Amino acid sequence: MQLSRTQIIEKLKEILISADERNGALAARAEESASLRGDFGFSSVNMLYLVIAIEESFGIEFDDVSMSDFETLGDVVDYIAGKLG
Amino acid sequence: MSRSEINAKSPHNYIFYYFVKYTAALPGLIWMRPKILFESEAAAERIRGGAILIANHMGFFDPVYMMFAVWYRRQHFVCLKSFFEGKAGWLFRQFHCIPIDKNNFGMGSFRAIIDELKKDEVVSLFPEGKVNDGSGELAAFKSGVVLMALRSGKPIIPIYVRPKKHWYERLRVMIGEPIRVEMPAVSFQKIDAFAALLHDKEERLKELTGG
Repeated sequence: MQLSRTQIIEKLKEILISADERNGALAARAEESASLRGDFGFSSVNMLYLVIAIEESFGIEFDDVSMSDFETLGDVVDYIAGKLG
Repeated sequence: MSRSEINAKSPHNYIFYYFVKYTAALPGLIWMRPKILFESEAAAERIRGGAILIANHMGFFDPVYMMFAVWYRRQHFVCLKSFFEGKAGWLFRQFHCIPIDKNNFGMGSFRAIIDELKKDEVVSLFPEGKVNDGSGELAAFKSGVVLMALRSGKPIIPIYVRPKKHWYERLRVMIGEPIRVEMPAVSFQKIDAFAALLHDKEERLKELTGG
């Protein structure tokens, strides 16, 4: 399944809307340059949950990644695009 | 650390684990004279299948106390990655401990934990993430344990180990009722709220043991 970067971000926004109960506050900031720690305030557990949700939503399997492998949302998009590849 | 690295370095048997467990059991029983208490009748039932044991963290011997509390099951302790470095790492691997980087909890450790739980093994950890500062107050719980229970579908068993005030006191350990983590819609906030609930539960067990 090939998806454009815009489509990947749209799916990520859907995941963030369901994962965050603050009326889409995270989804509103979902740009490729957004920092996962700084802008989203993610902990390593938040990141693990995001990875699990992405795996289920995109039908891909992540390698044994951790928080330090992704600085920005753009890095996550790159990773997903590479897996869908 | 990747899951394949963790699995490759673990021994394929439990010979050393059982050898140490049973040779140390008698001296440990004589010295600590553990008194195992239960929150309720449901808590007193034997733990069957996969389960996550959580306890307060006072010091290096906490895993031993947990082994006395649930003596009939072998346990895989989640330990800091740094413990596996150097010669001491051999010992932790022989005990089938699972390394974790508490500042950078990754999918490798997470999947290794889920693998053990799905094999109906018992995984034991200290959700405070550090040894207690000596005040006796429980630190906030890390929420990774909630995600482990959600992903594996296995229950969490809370345990409180009462610190000994005098050397001649018996070791008192309180086992709580199993807690199932069930959420119709998972969110970051619900995961954090459940971790806070587990902390409250541990406080309750602390009260029941007399602090």
